[in-house]
Amino acid sequence: MENNNLLELKEKALQEIEAAQTSDALNAVRNTYLSKKSELSSLTSMIGTLPPEERKSFGQALTEVRVAITSAIEEKANSLKNKELEERLAKETIDISLPGHSYNLGGRNPFYVIKDEMIQIFLGMGFEVADGPEVETDLYNFELLNIPRDHPARDMQDTFYINENELLRTHTSPVQARTMEAKKGAPVRIICPGKTYRRDDDDATHSHQFAQIEGLVIDKGINIGHLKATLELFAKKMFGEKREIRLRSSYFPFTEPSVEVDITCANCGGKGCNMCKGTGYIEILGGGMVHPNVLKMNGYDPEEYSGFAFGIGIERVAILRYGIDDIRKFYQNDVRFLKQFKKMS
Amino acid sequence: MLVSLKSVGQYVDLNGLTPEQIADKLTFAGVEVEEISRLASGTNLVIGHILECVAHPNSDHLHVLKVDLGPKYGVTQIVCGAPNARAGLKVIVARVGAKLPQIEIKQGVIRGEESNGMCCSLLELGVDAKFLTDYQKAGIEELPEDAPVGEENVLGYLGLDDVVLCLNVLANRPDLLSIFNVAREIGAIFSRPVNLPTISTKKDFETKIKIGSKTKKCSQFSSKEIRNIVTKPSPKWMSEFLMAMGVRSINNIVDIGNYVMLMTGQPLHMYDADKLPKAELYAQDDYDGDFVALDEKTYKVIPGDIVICSDNKPMCLGGVMGSLACAVDENTKNIYIEAASFDGASIRHTSNRLGLVSESSQRFVKGTNHFQSEFVLDYAAQLINELCEAKENSNNVVYQSEEEKDQIIDSSVSKINGRLGTEFSKEQVFETLTRLNFKLTFKDENKFSALVPQYRLDITSDADLSEEVIRLNGYDNVKSILPCLDTKVGMLSSRQQRLKNIRSYLLNVGLDECLTYSLISKKEMHDFCLLNREENYVILNPLTDEHEVFRTHILSSLLNAASYNVARQNKNLALFETSNMISKSSRSEHLAIVLVGQALNQGLLCKENYTFFHMKGLVEGIFSTLGIEQSRFKFDRFIDSNHELHPGKTANIIFQNQVIGVMGELHPNQIEKYDLGKANAVVLEMNLEALLEAKVSETKMTPISRFPSVSRDLAFVLDANIQAGDVIRTIKTIGRGLVNNCEVFDVYQGTGIALGKKSMALSITYRKDDGTLTDREISDIEDKIKFELSRSYKAEIRS
Repeated sequence: MENNNLLELKEKALQEIEAAQTSDALNAVRNTYLSKKSELSSLTSMIGTLPPEERKSFGQALTEVRVAITSAIEEKANSLKNKELEERLAKETIDISLPGHSYNLGGRNPFYVIKDEMIQIFLGMGFEVADGPEVETDLYNFELLNIPRDHPARDMQDTFYINENELLRTHTSPVQARTMEAKKGAPVRIICPGKTYRRDDDDATHSHQFAQIEGLVIDKGINIGHLKATLELFAKKMFGEKREIRLRSSYFPFTEPSVEVDITCANCGGKGCNMCKGTGYIEILGGGMVHPNVLKMNGYDPEEYSGFAFGIGIERVAILRYGIDDIRKFYQNDVRFLKQFKKMS
Repeated sequence: MLVSLKSVGQYVDLNGLTPEQIADKLTFAGVEVEEISRLASGTNLVIGHILECVAHPNSDHLHVLKVDLGPKYGVTQIVCGAPNARAGLKVIVARVGAKLPQIEIKQGVIRGEESNGMCCSLLELGVDAKFLTDYQKAGIEELPEDAPVGEENVLGYLGLDDVVLCLNVLANRPDLLSIFNVAREIGAIFSRPVNLPTISTKKDFETKIKIGSKTKKCSQFSSKEIRNIVTKPSPKWMSEFLMAMGVRSINNIVDIGNYVMLMTGQPLHMYDADKLPKAELYAQDDYDGDFVALDEKTYKVIPGDIVICSDNKPMCLGGVMGSLACAVDENTKNIYIEAASFDGASIRHTSNRLGLVSESSQRFVKGTNHFQSEFVLDYAAQLINELCEAKENSNNVVYQSEEEKDQIIDSSVSKINGRLGTEFSKEQVFETLTRLNFKLTFKDENKFSALVPQYRLDITSDADLSEEVIRLNGYDNVKSILPCLDTKVGMLSSRQQRLKNIRSYLLNVGLDECLTYSLISKKEMHDFCLLNREENYVILNPLTDEHEVFRTHILSSLLNAASYNVARQNKNLALFETSNMISKSSRSEHLAIVLVGQALNQGLLCKENYTFFHMKGLVEGIFSTLGIEQSRFKFDRFIDSNHELHPGKTANIIFQNQVIGVMGELHPNQIEKYDLGKANAVVLEMNLEALLEAKVSETKMTPISRFPSVSRDLAFVLDANIQAGDVIRTIKTIGRGLVNNCEVFDVYQGTGIALGKKSMALSITYRKDDGTLTDREISDIEDKIKFELSRSYKAEIRS
């Protein structure tokens, strides 16, 4: 009889558990069936009143019912908790189109992007990065570079003077002389990035301040093939593997032979377009074999050592790489311009 | 240098070469052709004869013409608006389909009248207006009566079929400022023979002119006298040539001077022999006084200028301009021609000083061939005989300070190949240099000596010879091989790396990296000079006062960049720049930062005003990036006496007992001055030298305590002017060994707190390295801290 009652109790409890829709309702069910005042508890306390032969089986039956109810409640509790959590989370849905918290890189003036990248390329080839003063003496900027006073080549580089002897360097080439002086006849492999100044009115293509990267290699047996290969490698790394270079004869007082280096036009790939004025090529830098007079003046025996040097305009490379139409943009620092150059390279 | 291909073609055979091919080869050989231009152009042109000219019935200025275009095209009707159109005129007709520089001619009906072409002016064929008279510009070109009707090679008939190359002659090749030498160059490049004119003039009399030089600046002076010349306009071929070369034709004698200079590169000067005070011409450089030049202006001549004097009176400013006193004019009968060699530097100084830069002064500045003066005089004489009806030539008189020596260079095939990285054979080297008029003598299979052609002033060493070989053969012959040098680790120096790290840090936290000019105005120099004021460099010859001094700080430039941006509605800015500063006493790397407006953390949804503490955080971040501990630097209050910064929100940055930087919020007056709108701004200028050179210890791991820490809050009220940093320092001193960390989490002034006081709340973390702290230990140390705060700061403990 008791067993039937127990079964009924269990069924009823399970139904109520099933019906409970909230944690609170389920707690009420738990109270009804499992608290000290519940029917199950009072039945348990009745065990002692039963004849000893019935106690065991009744006890077992009671335990089964309690376990069944308890586990049903737990199960239900879990599912209610999950349901409630889901409901809560559903309410917490956000507008994912709102802006993200800002952890952006700053914008980099493309001048620095190119400068840093150029340095990286030459570091990879074992060059050291040298440095020299922007206020130079006539000696280093001209004399030691085979540009004596009243040499017509001085007209090529209209100069800002501080006084008769001091000036703003018109190119990074004085670092050639300074490096040779410092190395005292030992082999040299340096680049020198830096600002240079010429007395030009600022417009879209001229700037009284601009920057170059000077390169200088001096060793035994250096020839123009080495210059060509070095610049070829540079051009491919800077402008892409498909770019080709060509050398044209030119003139600089401190190199002999001197060359201008052109690169196949990125716009048309060498077929000829407006950008390259139909030639398929764009001029990117100048260089040549260090003039024997320059070697001699700076303490190297031209019979024993030879070297190559080159100078690359940093803005010029940036202008070509990014299609920048006005050199003044580098110096205006409009953040709408700067923020276009964030990509890590 | 403009080069008429027609005239070059007289001396070297250009058959089969297009102007483009010539330009291309020249450019690769180092003679850059900047432009190829045609004097005039046009297709479908023919010479016509106006048979009839009647007024257009529907127009007050148009004419209806019947034009005979010769047997091939017959007579056609053309509507023409030119005021000078009239029957009987021979004209240039552009037929239907003609392509002219500006327009294409189509068949049309103009106000009801059919028109089959256009009568042209030279302007419409593209001739530069400077060569045309106003009459020519106003109407159609009037051809001579004998113009052949039906002739289709109209440009050839007009002498306008020339192509002109504009050469960019570099400083090493002044010889190319001569048509003869350009012909030699083109001949060498294309391996074609060059035939320059041979001159023969007979000597009719001995001149009495005495010549010489009293200055080293004139190493050679030659002259010839010619009698009984007739001045008149130059013939058509001469004026056409000069037009092609961009020179206006004046009269036969002036034109010959220009012509010979353009051909040979040697500037000439002509003196009216009868106007010289004495039959002598001496170069000297000690004249001091006024000089009335050909242009009728008076110039101040100073000692050092080369002056050609006769009887100590200045007759010519050597190489620059002649005097009015002995100028050749329409009445001149007898002349002296001068062909001299002047010192380029001296001519450069004089012509630049007086603003008299001319074709001839430029040639002297760049260098002239000292060997050819007699040839040039004879060449000029021959032309004068021909064009000026002169019959009597004198001998040449020549003054020379010392004999000009030929240049001989010893070199070898292997040296040339060694420099170039090529494998040219002996024959190739011989052939190339011979084409360029070098005379080679081989001593063996390798070594040779080369006699340099006299006009090549630039060849002085065997490096120059190697360039000649490669520029003619092309750099395609150079094998591209990376140099095989000692392996080196390519890396930045510690200093360079640190600077890069600082820049990367600032970029990584979102600041934009700027680049501003090093040359600034005196005013900018004066503004925001927050660090040591060092004596700056001033430019002697600035272009504008905006770029007059070399800056010793970045901040005013960066503030101007901020101002530029704010004016363009870029109102929230975080900018920085690092740059090398140079003063008369030092060179140092600087950093400047400008923060303007708000940090937009999540767009406009979540933003905060930039404050002093943003900048302070950046400075701390920089030190941390370099591995410099907090304890090695500090911020000290700093009162800016220039009122550029907010008096209460400014600090010096102290490192190694030096002020290395100044930072602070901008003074409201400066915000206004820089037009930063209503924004607030925080700025920094820092000298990075100490940071770049600072000793930084290697990072060593510190063991992490196994024992738990306990955090307790402490709140108190104290005088508002007491700095949190001092309080924390006190707490850390008292709690040494137990106080692990101490941070401010609230500072409050206002309602509930007495005026002049503030409430401060700290979170203190306690920990022992060798055991778990007991409550008792914590209470004890807390009591000590409270006691000390009360004692030292009169703090009133709230919890």
